[in-house]
Amino acid sequence: MIQVKYFGVIAEAAQRDSENIAENNMTLAQVLMELSTRHSLGDYHFQVAINRKIVSEDSDQVLSDGDEIAFLPPFSGG
Amino acid sequence: MKKVFLEGAISPEFISESIAKHQSKHSIGAHNIFLGQVRADEVEGKKVESIDFTSYEEMANEKLHEIREAAFEKFDLTCLHIYHSLGNVKVGEICIFVFVSSKRRKPVYEATEWLVNQVKTEVPIFGKEIFENEESQWKVNS
Repeated sequence: MIQVKYFGVIAEAAQRDSENIAENNMTLAQVLMELSTRHSLGDYHFQVAINRKIVSEDSDQVLSDGDEIAFLPPFSGG
Repeated sequence: MKKVFLEGAISPEFISESIAKHQSKHSIGAHNIFLGQVRADEVEGKKVESIDFTSYEEMANEKLHEIREAAFEKFDLTCLHIYHSLGNVKVGEICIFVFVSSKRRKPVYEATEWLVNQVKTEVPIFGKEIFENEESQWKVNS
């Protein structure tokens, strides 16, 4: 199982804060494409973190059971 | 890991207590403090009334820990504290408090600016501006 977390404007657009998806030997790029399409996130700017580290969106890293992916819109703290 | 996030606004009392706690540390000769206050920006005739802050807290805490470690490497500091609000903070209230101490003044000026910039650009915190008419928009840092 992979846990997906959504934040800020992305959570609003996806209408959820988190969801679990089956771990299916998919690369990060494949998972992002699927989730972006499912939740219509194509127009939004975001960075992606795997296990709390920012990674490239076109990463061919294969996701493993227990991984946590986060969709992070531009940071606006301070 | 040091506690950074506080629910709601950071009160002047909290800030003054933080200063008082350092009076027993006699190697310190200089403090510098940055306070970020919620501003009543006006967008298309609507005034910002408050900001709702949320965060990816697990990642933010890891990142803030790295930033702390890097600051101690980079600057000659005695101690440093970073506090940031979560939840609703009204116009005029404080949402970020960075407090840097050293033997002498030069490193505290440099470290304070560096730390505030790091928090704004590297830490996953998200602000949503709430207008008087209850509409809202996601804040963009300038």
